This record gives sequence, C-alpha cells and structure tokens, in this order.
Amino acid sequence: MNDDYLWDKTGQPDPQIQQLEEILGTLRYQPKPLVLPHKRNYFPLLAIAASLLLALLAGGIWLRVRSRNEAPPQQASVETPKPNFEDEPVGTPKAPVNKSVVNPSPVVANNRRRNRSAPSALPKREREEALMAKEQLMLALRVTTEKLHLVHTRTQPNQIKNQHRVG
Amino acid sequence: MKTLFHINIRTALAALLLSLAPVLSAHAQQDSRIQMGALDHLAAKASQTVDVNIDERLMRLAARVFDDKDEDEREVKKLIANLKGVYVKSFEFETEGQYAAADIEPIRTQLRGPGWTRLVNVTSKKEGMLEVYLLFNGDVVGGLAVLHTDDKELTVVNIVGPVDVDKLARLEGQLGIPDLGIGSPKNKTKNDDEK
Repeated sequence: MNDDYLWDKTGQPDPQIQQLEEILGTLRYQPKPLVLPHKRNYFPLLAIAASLLLALLAGGIWLRVRSRNEAPPQQASVETPKPNFEDEPVGTPKAPVNKSVVNPSPVVANNRRRNRSAPSALPKREREEALMAKEQLMLALRVTTEKLHLVHTRTQPNQIKNQHRVG
Repeated sequence: MKTLFHINIRTALAALLLSLAPVLSAHAQQDSRIQMGALDHLAAKASQTVDVNIDERLMRLAARVFDDKDEDEREVKKLIANLKGVYVKSFEFETEGQYAAADIEPIRTQLRGPGWTRLVNVTSKKEGMLEVYLLFNGDVVGGLAVLHTDDKELTVVNIVGPVDVDKLARLEGQLGIPDLGIGSPKNKTKNDDEK
C-alpha cells in the first residue's frame, strides 16, 4: 500500500480512508462572509426619555412663570381715605351697601379672638402670614355672602309673586 | 428604516402628550381665575377699596390656623379645602359716574368665555346690577364669579375651584360673617331651635 495518498493525495487511496474522508468531509471548513451581530436600536427609548425630560422641564418652567406672574397675594388692602365733609351736602344719606364690607374690623376682631385657640405648630413668621391670610379670606367670604344675600333678597319677591300666580 | 423612524416619532409624541397632560389639565383648571388687573386704575378714584388676593398657597396656609375644635371654623375649613383661590376687588365711590362700562368690559369678556354660565342677573334702579356666574367643568362647578355694578360701587368676586354655593350661603352668622338670612330653610329652623 502506498502512503503517498495520505501525504499529498497521490496514488491509490485506501477504501477505508475514502469512507472516512466522506464522513468527515461534511465538517470541512466552508468559507462564509463575516456577519456581525445586529446592533440594538436604542432610539425609541432615548426619544421617550428625552420627551419626558422636556415635558418635566416645560412643566417646571411653566409653574415657575405662573407663580411669578401672580400678583402678590398677601397684598389685600382696605383703603379708606379721610372723608371730605366740606364737599358733602348736609343730610346726604350714605350708601349703606358697602359699609359692612369695607370695614373689616368686626371680622378681624372676631378672628383675633378665635386665633388664640388655633394650633401654634407653625413658625412665628409663617403663622403671622397664615393669620393675615385667614383674616383676608374671611373678609372675602364676607363680601361674597353679602352679595349672594343681595341676590337672594332681590330674587325672593319674584319667587313669591310667581308662587301666588301658580296658587 | 423609514417606517421605524415614523413609529419612533409617533411613540415620542405620544409620550410627550401623556407627560404634558397633567400640566395641560392644571392649566385648564386655572381658567376660572378672572384677571382683574384692568380695574386697578379705579382705586385712585375710589373712596374705599377692598382688594383681596388669596391664592392656593395662602389658602392652605390659612387653613392651618383654623381651629378644628370650633365647629364654625371647621365648616369654613371644609369649604375652602378644595378651593384654588379667592379674589375680591371692590370699589366704592363718593360720586356717580366714576367708572364706565368700558372699565368692566375686560371682566365681562372673560365671563362670556367658554364654561361660564350666568345664573342670576338682577337689575334694579336702587342697587344697580347683580350678576352671578358659575364655571362648569362638565357637571362640576369649577368657579364662581359675582359682579355687582352700581352708580357708586363696583365689586367683583372670583372664587377659583369647586365651590359649594350652599355651604357658602350657610356661612352667614359665622366667624364675623353676619347672618344674612340666605341659608337653607332646614338650617334656619335648626339655628332657630338652638337659639
């Protein structure tokens, strides 16, 4: 038997070797083009994250601008200039509508009395601000209820008239 | 690739809208606030002026000094619990004709806006014109406005937030608010019984 076949594939091959060649031949190296693994696309996630960030930023700016634009809230005021008695004709009746509205003293006095019993967990400065806000709030509610009362008293006679008509 | 890009843009836009929704809805709720700055110049002519501006922060702060043990204060605290602000501008003049209809027009323009409904409009020679407006967000009341125009008086009240008008009426006689007789008959009877 010639061993050249095993060395340089010349000469007569051995049938067993041929059989082995056929079996192992399937596992022979076969050249293929290089394929890199597919890169993951992070664009949607980044886009969503950027959008959320932008939205939060916009919301923050909006809230800041809004709070700046608002009028100073604690500036409630009741202005009462000195009455000029010289210009006023004698016997002219004063308009009674707003007297109780623009004179906040009963509310203030009443609130001061009540505020003594209020909880004092707030710092002094904040508490003063809170008490002032409370007084102003009461004044506003007082004006509101007075106006609602006016509406009520003016609409009430009409209702009674209508009831009489129906009756 | 182009389709993928379009999908991404759509996803990003949807996310943006979703995240902006709370901000936009908060802005929509602020619509019941009436801008009254146009009336400020009347203060110079007025003999008496009431100007109250209480925003949500001050409202929360004020609520902290209400005494929970006091029934009246508890009621007021409940009433203001969900409110976003209370604003009042009231001018009283010595003489007639100190303000013109044009001065109130900016207020009226806002009250003619979407959502606002004029519930009451009472006019009398003696006490002028009284209008009550409510702002509805669907079925829920989102704000109240009262406009009182008289020869010698101009008052604008604006309550921002879900205001309970019945509760507000029941405040009469409490905390220095005079008993004006506009509470419900049931309460009146109760009060009378207590007396």
